[in-house]
Amino acid sequence: MSSEHINPDKCIACTICQVHCPVAKVTPNFLGPRLIGPAYERFRLLDVTEEESLHYCANCKNCDIACPQGVAISTLNMVARCEYTEKNGGKLRDWVLSHGGFLADLFKYIPTWLKNFGMHNPVTRLLLDAIGISKKAPIPKFDKHFRLIYKKLKQPKLDKKIVYFPGCYVDDYDYSIGLDMIWIFNQAGYEVIVPKQFVCCGLPLVSNGFMKDAAKNAAKNVSVIKEYQEKGIPVVTGCPSCALMFKKDVPEMFPDVVYDSYKGGVMDAQEFLMGCVERGELNFAGKNSTKSIIYHSPCHLRAQGIGLPSIDLIEKLTGSKIQNAQAGCCGISGSYGFKKEKYQIGLDVGKELFDTIKNSNCEIVTTECGTCQTQIKHGTGQKAYHPVTVIRKLVENK
Amino acid sequence: MISTTVIIIGGGATGSGVLRDLSMRGIPAIMLEQGGLAYGTSSRFHGLLHSGARYAVNDNESAKECIEENMILRKIGKHCVELTEGFFVQTPEDDKEFAPKWLEGCKTAGIKTEEISLEEAFKLEPNLSRDISKVYRVPDSCIDGFRLVWQNAMSARRYGGELYTYHKVVEIITESGKVKGVKALNKVTNEIVEFGCDYIVNASGSWAGEMVALSGLAPLPISPDRGTLVVFNHRFTSRVINRLHKSSDGDIFVPHGSVTILGTTSAEADTPDDKTPTSQEVKRLLDIGRVVFPHVDDYRILRAFAGTRPLYGAKGAGRSASRNFNIVNHSEEGLAGFVSIFGGKLTTYRLMAEKVSDVVANMAGVTAKCRTAEEPIIPDVSEHTLSKAKKYFPKGAVNIVADRIGADFDKVLDNIEKSNEKNELVCECEMVTLSEIKYVAQDDASYYLNDIRLRTRLGMGTCQGTFCSLRAIAALENENIEMKLKPSDNIKNFLQERWNGLRPALWGGQLREAELTRAIYLSTLNFDGEGYEA
Ligand SMILES: Cc1cc2nc3c(=O)[nH]c(=O)nc-3n(C[C@H](O)[C@H](O)[C@H](O)COP(=O)(O)OP(=O)(O)OC[C@H]3O[C@@H](n4cnc5c(N)ncnc54)[C@H](O)[C@@H]3O)c2cc1C
Ligand code: SF4
Ligand code: SF4
Repeated sequence: MSSEHINPDKCIACTICQVHCPVAKVTPNFLGPRLIGPAYERFRLLDVTEEESLHYCANCKNCDIACPQGVAISTLNMVARCEYTEKNGGKLRDWVLSHGGFLADLFKYIPTWLKNFGMHNPVTRLLLDAIGISKKAPIPKFDKHFRLIYKKLKQPKLDKKIVYFPGCYVDDYDYSIGLDMIWIFNQAGYEVIVPKQFVCCGLPLVSNGFMKDAAKNAAKNVSVIKEYQEKGIPVVTGCPSCALMFKKDVPEMFPDVVYDSYKGGVMDAQEFLMGCVERGELNFAGKNSTKSIIYHSPCHLRAQGIGLPSIDLIEKLTGSKIQNAQAGCCGISGSYGFKKEKYQIGLDVGKELFDTIKNSNCEIVTTECGTCQTQIKHGTGQKAYHPVTVIRKLVENK
Repeated sequence: MISTTVIIIGGGATGSGVLRDLSMRGIPAIMLEQGGLAYGTSSRFHGLLHSGARYAVNDNESAKECIEENMILRKIGKHCVELTEGFFVQTPEDDKEFAPKWLEGCKTAGIKTEEISLEEAFKLEPNLSRDISKVYRVPDSCIDGFRLVWQNAMSARRYGGELYTYHKVVEIITESGKVKGVKALNKVTNEIVEFGCDYIVNASGSWAGEMVALSGLAPLPISPDRGTLVVFNHRFTSRVINRLHKSSDGDIFVPHGSVTILGTTSAEADTPDDKTPTSQEVKRLLDIGRVVFPHVDDYRILRAFAGTRPLYGAKGAGRSASRNFNIVNHSEEGLAGFVSIFGGKLTTYRLMAEKVSDVVANMAGVTAKCRTAEEPIIPDVSEHTLSKAKKYFPKGAVNIVADRIGADFDKVLDNIEKSNEKNELVCECEMVTLSEIKYVAQDDASYYLNDIRLRTRLGMGTCQGTFCSLRAIAALENENIEMKLKPSDNIKNFLQERWNGLRPALWGGQLREAELTRAIYLSTLNFDGEGYEA
């Protein structure tokens, strides 16, 4: 018995989580959160054979949101999966999908077109398919490396500073979100610092079974966060999954890494910006957009329990009315929906959201999470934008 | 009248061991039990297959018996025994002078001990207190009492032995100084059933004194002594953890399947049926247990239960009375054919059965020798069956189910294949599937849902029956499998039994659980409400 095990005792077997798990709803291959989490955990301590089903948990955390007893269900699942991977070795496919940040960093000086040619030509896709990455999956295309662009960027000299954790999606696949983020913080009077020591938040590593690598990343990132927190500079991220990783998973999985005043570590950027609006630091006077906008709240945002700040933010800053899709999970869960055996599950889970978006006939689709954006594009054909990008577009009339 | 050669009174470990032993020797025998199988102490004990180390200093004879039987049971009772090994740990509260005496005692009894480094001990059992200063490894193990009784009974049946559960012996029929039979009350039909026999083995445990009195002989000085145990929701130790000191209350933790059990206390009881623990006892056990597992209060308690030991000798002797077993051949007191066996431990049940069967065989002039030390209680489940089962059972459940139902696994699989049904999990906390429930429910000895519980562990996990009892009853109704109570009474009876064990430790997580149960059964389903009918 190892010490990392999480006490499963809080579960009262009410099965509420079972009803809220999007994956269990669409596939019999997954036995559901209660069974695979707290119930099976009692047998893991007995060293029984692991259930195949464990690998179907998407780590979307809807179970955690629903559980009335505060059971760390998804963490139970992830710790078990990591233990399984450590014992039985991980799949090459899972290693590749979870070490994207590491790989992208390794290749960051290779020209983008060449990287994309390497990754997205049919031959590569067939090879990837052979190792278990669905050839139909909407793997995002590489973009210029955000932090290389940031290094050359001239920001106005501003008194207030803020640290921005970009996350892999912005770093590797869509630097424009990062630039929009810098733009809006500058507008609010903050100069943005993007420390070069930041590495992947580790969530993909955890989800794919690589706990030890995730622990290393957590330690690196937390030491950077600490340095700035001690100087009184807040740390934010625009990515809900990174934020959740720092707020919930890091303290739960790697309690040794966090320090006393760590608290959440990293704040949701949109929540922070709403604070700026409330303090009068940020507004775009006279903006009154009439665009129709539909918003999808990523599961990992809802799991933070901070409400939906992006809705308020867009409405306050642009004057538009937002329709909240309220249609559950998009089904991608990071790299989950890219996997061959899970690709269809991802689409089935996302169906309600896709239909809601299509039926809304809205002109703009917005959501914070990069992979949600990718999946929405894949499922509806419509491009989805980060809320801050939407604000910039509307404000600058682009 | 039903006639046989030997009547065995008591369906605990001892009684079922005797039934099997006699049946294997070819002596016709019937076992009578007032409740379900293992209704008495054999299902209300700690679950420790003693290495004997606990008795090494005080009772070296017992220690020797234990280690010998321990080694035998590992071989013949594979499906009931979990080979966990045990630790003896020295805490700051324990007398340091005890260790050398104990090591000497273990050596004399032939019990292997090995000191291991604290570093290794804490790696193996990370939840142990860091104040522990010495750790020894011993061949303790864990044993499932329910299962042991069932499997002995199943094996005995294959050799022609018979058993009647819910038959309480109310009269011992004698004629000119010799036993002739017994009268038993069928507790389900309330009828008196007469059994004729030449010999009676009184294996009624803590009730043995009452039984002797029933025969008209002078009562035996047997007093029941009550021990309370606490069950935790999960397994926070993978080994039996004993304190390295003179045996005392609350000093053993035993992992038992998916749960951990802490115990026990020792207190004079009024009757053998006195099995309701008090909250004070539970709290006292926690106070003692905290010395070994400092986070014991963070672990949720599922329930508490108590069992009684038959202590032979003056009343009030408690822990100092001998745990060795006793055989009394009442022929010497003028009642021929009547033998009592009591005391001992579950660990030594086989030896006890052997010795008393020797006495009976001798009286009956049968020369066949005891074979129980060599022949496995149930045959192994074949690899073929196990791999076939993977198709229908959760992966992790296959070996667990194999241990629970043994050779019958094949029949269960056949039934699934024939009916072509999906083998749904009925009890998620203990991984009991529909097919297993159906199969056990159809056994002659299954009268109530409680009997199914004992054999499958249905309702013995986290939810304590809240979800599985309803599911199980619904499934049985669906299949037209009749039980002795109508469905609603069967559930009530079941939940009431669970509730009795919840009550003494009703706080923390389990209180929340109980509130959920109450909400479902008393509010939503209106189980005890006015106008309730079903
Ligand atoms: C708290 C506690 C913890 C223990 N822990 C351990 C341990 O960890 N390891 C170990 O080896 N031993 C342990 N023991 C001892 C062990 O449990 C007993 O020695 C053993 O279970 C006794 O089995 P038995 O068959 O003799 O008695 P029982 O199991 O009590 O069986 C006697 C049966 O006779 C039946 N009966 C009584 N009267 C009648 C009647 N009139 N008609 C029909 N049937 C009748 C009863 O219902 C009962 O089922 C423990 C004991 C206690 C009390
Ligand atoms: S994390 Fe998501 S997929 Fe996994 S059990 Fe919870 S709700 Fe289901
Ligand atoms: S919602 Fe929470 S308490 Fe209820 S079954 Fe799921 S994990 Fe257990």
